[in-house]
Amino acid sequence: MISKDQVLHIANIAKLRITDEELEPFMEKFDQIIEFVDRIREVDTEDVEPLYQVNEDNELLEYNETNQMISRQEALQNTQEQKYGYFKILKVVE
Amino acid sequence: MTYKTIIGLEIHVELSTKHKIFCNCPNEFGAEANTLVCPTCLGLPGSMPILNKEVLEYAIKAGIAFNGKISNLIKMDRKHYFYSDLPKGYQVSQAEVPFCDGGYLEIELESETKKINLERIHIEEDTGKQIHSEEEETLLDFNRSGVPLIEIVTKPEMNSAEEAKLFLDKLRATLKYIEVSNVKMEEGSLRCDVNINVVDSETGKKSIIAEIKNLNSFRAVVKAIEFEEKRHIDLLEADKNTEKETRRWDEAKGETILMRKKAGASDYRFVVEGAIPPVRISDEWIEEIKTTLPELPQDKKTRFMDSFGLSSYDAGVLTQSKDLSEFFEETLKYIDDSKLVSNWIMGDVLRRLNDDEIEIQESKLSPKALADLLLLVRDDKINNNTGKKVLKEIFDTGNSPEKIVKEKGLIQISDEGELKKIVEEVLNNNEQSIIDFKNGKDRALGFLVGQVMKASRGKANPQLVNKMLLEMMEER
Amino acid sequence: MDITSLKAWEMKEKIIKKEISCKEVIQAHIKKIEEEDSEINAFISLNKEEALRKSEKIDEKIKKGEGIGLLSGLPIGIKDNIASKDLKTTCGSKMLDKYISPFNATVVEKIINNDGIIIGKTNMDEFALGDSTETSYFGPTKNPINKNVVPGGSSGGSAAAVAANMVALSLGTDTGGSVRQPASFCGIVGIKPSYGMISRYGVIPMADTLDHVGVFGRDVRDATLILDSLKGYDKKDSTSSKMSNSEAFSIVFEEDKGRNYLDGMKVAIPREYIDLVPADKKVQEQFDKAIKVFEKSGAKIEIVSIPHLKYAAEVYYIIMSCEVSSNMARYDGIAFGHRAEEYETLDELYINSRTEAFGKEAKTRILAGTYALTGSKNAELYQKAMKVRRLLKEDYDKVFASHDVVLSLSSKELPFELNSIKKTSIESYKLNMYSAPANLAGLCAMSIPIGEVDGLPVGMEITGDRFKDRTIIKAGIGYERAVL
Ligand SMILES: [Mg+2]
Ligand SMILES: [Zn+2]
Repeated sequence: MISKDQVLHIANIAKLRITDEELEPFMEKFDQIIEFVDRIREVDTEDVEPLYQVNEDNELLEYNETNQMISRQEALQNTQEQKYGYFKILKVVE
Repeated sequence: MTYKTIIGLEIHVELSTKHKIFCNCPNEFGAEANTLVCPTCLGLPGSMPILNKEVLEYAIKAGIAFNGKISNLIKMDRKHYFYSDLPKGYQVSQAEVPFCDGGYLEIELESETKKINLERIHIEEDTGKQIHSEEEETLLDFNRSGVPLIEIVTKPEMNSAEEAKLFLDKLRATLKYIEVSNVKMEEGSLRCDVNINVVDSETGKKSIIAEIKNLNSFRAVVKAIEFEEKRHIDLLEADKNTEKETRRWDEAKGETILMRKKAGASDYRFVVEGAIPPVRISDEWIEEIKTTLPELPQDKKTRFMDSFGLSSYDAGVLTQSKDLSEFFEETLKYIDDSKLVSNWIMGDVLRRLNDDEIEIQESKLSPKALADLLLLVRDDKINNNTGKKVLKEIFDTGNSPEKIVKEKGLIQISDEGELKKIVEEVLNNNEQSIIDFKNGKDRALGFLVGQVMKASRGKANPQLVNKMLLEMMEER
Repeated sequence: MDITSLKAWEMKEKIIKKEISCKEVIQAHIKKIEEEDSEINAFISLNKEEALRKSEKIDEKIKKGEGIGLLSGLPIGIKDNIASKDLKTTCGSKMLDKYISPFNATVVEKIINNDGIIIGKTNMDEFALGDSTETSYFGPTKNPINKNVVPGGSSGGSAAAVAANMVALSLGTDTGGSVRQPASFCGIVGIKPSYGMISRYGVIPMADTLDHVGVFGRDVRDATLILDSLKGYDKKDSTSSKMSNSEAFSIVFEEDKGRNYLDGMKVAIPREYIDLVPADKKVQEQFDKAIKVFEKSGAKIEIVSIPHLKYAAEVYYIIMSCEVSSNMARYDGIAFGHRAEEYETLDELYINSRTEAFGKEAKTRILAGTYALTGSKNAELYQKAMKVRRLLKEDYDKVFASHDVVLSLSSKELPFELNSIKKTSIESYKLNMYSAPANLAGLCAMSIPIGEVDGLPVGMEITGDRFKDRTIIKAGIGYERAVL
């Protein structure tokens, strides 16, 4: 069983808020997920290398010549606030 | 009680490649905000990173220069944390497989050469920059986002601020030799974090490691280490050794300030960078890169010792900077006397550079000028002291030694006839000194030489004066 | 004649032969969308005026006898997780509600360069996280075949748009079955080619090592037509493969004079599907019937074992959620995307923005992925799953050493009702055993309609080895020819 604190800790790392009423059903679902995924523990993977990518024969290292630069205006077009060509957020308390 | 300080460094070095690490944006410092950006370095949805071959080339050069083992597999990972200057919520870095394993650098202590071992070197991307304006707002510029970095992690093998400083000097020098970075701390192309604790040599009790961040000059590194040494000793003595801390250096206050306490290591949730398939690096390519490297400081040092008969310490210092070593060798083209040149560079030249906080190539002294000056000294045209004055004058004005000597009339008087009058006059005015000398007081001779030098405005050949004084006192 | 009910390749022929104008084709489809889409909700945004303007240009080109691209003015729908400059790219999320990409995905560029006409961006599960298109911020899409059931997901909008004749062809993405399952649910053909066959540049990632661009058409030839226009190595995507620069697939069967491709084809059927997650009986009957078709046409059928299929759903869920949690990290409200109005600290800016803008399923998967990456779980779950992934891939390597294709159901169940409560998440996760293995091993796979149960379509999955896409296309064409 996953604890409340564990769930809240994970939510905090992921920068999400779980409300009090969401917490119980969520814990229930999370327990199901954990039970489900934990089954892979029974597979013997000794001496097995992780598979990072299906195409492993990669020698495609190249000098990067694809220029995709965009204008400052395009860079800023999707942000909520900007100033002097900078992205802007409220001064954040550290 | 005696304490031993234990220091490990983590150094971030911006590589001076033409382009950023995962895109084609120019890698330049000082452009207008957010003008050197593209979807990839802004982390826009759907953009993809392309690992730039140029970056690997630079990184591998550094790995070889630091004597590390270059991996045949380049695998990139994502290191997750949220911060406003990190556009993707993760930094692409290398977790369990760095491109370079181990390695070392040697530093020259007065008494010995000390090897500082490296843990690893890995490649990663730089973040953007934030500016806190006065008007309660934070402004973000992503021009620096995606600039290639190597992170060099040392083993905790330095034991004083001095050693850390020497290590950083050597590191910077080596990076300059191989021309992979501008290594300018003031532009942030070299950044250093310090891990420090102290151990009580008698009881073996250790203080808990503190990490000092945001050190923006070597001087700050030294000061922060010295401050921390004291703080850690106090903590141990007061038995107030708490938990691992991250601190920052406050230049104005001259002290480190607590940023955060961290229980255990931060959890970065490493994930394989799925957009960059692991790349195999051939031994041939590594060999090929090796052949493009210039002579490295360590090899040059050995050569200087062998060919010029220099001591390990002198050779070490002279090869510390590529420019300095080249200056030394260039000077020898005009005057075939390595000991003399080495002595002068190690002495007055370096002292002056240190005082001015400049590099040799930024000064007004040229190899030709130094050689000409030393020829004057060696041929007794001017004496040693005058030589020093002329050197100062060259540093100040950039004039040639001949010109300075001529204009100031500094040529040494080595003509007995010319000196005889002065010597006679000095003897006449110092009867008591002659008596003293004859009564066995050797100091009196020194005094008389000084008087002659003074009267000749420093131009007299001191050896000659010595000889003449002895002869003329004998006659009296 | 209702233009919109033609196959894409039929439309193409008529446009080129000037039997109909491109403008007529586009107008007919726009009309169809105006009539049907208020109910079906296949589109998030539309590009009617621009599409009409383009159709006139294509007609002009044809009139002048200029060369015309592979897609020759065909109306195309694009899943809304594929970046486009002209239309917003929302990923079906409040997070990117108003997001305008400053660049086009490579596949968008390819469609434009091949004279295809993009009519609109299609609805999808939020960030492709779902299998019913019900998690979209823009409301669910309905299945055109029966409006009480879902079209499948996450590319439900793209599948529905083709099934409802609102576009001739469409693009989806497939991370664990998101093209094949909706193709199956909507009674059309969906192809997820091999990993590396189509550039992902500009495709907003859900899980990079599993994500594929896929295509929808009304038959195999339609799907192959658009596949041909999209495939190829792309410098901007390091995971795209030079193996994709092969000859066009459609040439094979356009000039083969009706050959029977099934004759002599070596077919494998994994016994694990029968043993582990048995399908609905009526659905299974449809599959058995399709196998008979293969057999009758001369295919050699063999029951094989793929031992690690047993863990495919779990491996998929772990790797997928880990990569999802990573890819969702960039949505922090700063440079783009939803930003909360209220915040005082940087942490609050993140938490408020993300909590407000992500839906429930997205949050669940982000948290599950975060869990599987944190502390010791990173090795126990994430790293471990990558190892089992290798074992699974090796299982398939063995099967393909002696077989041409693997056959299975595309989904073991029929399209389910909208808002159905029977589906707990865990049950639906287990279903990924059917479709996710092709993503885990990078295999090419196609879903092709094989029949109906209670008026709802059933699809069969034809899976081939990596970069043997030609083989599954031949199998699909062979099957279509056999049942015609
Ligand atoms: Mg770092
Ligand atoms: Zn860039």
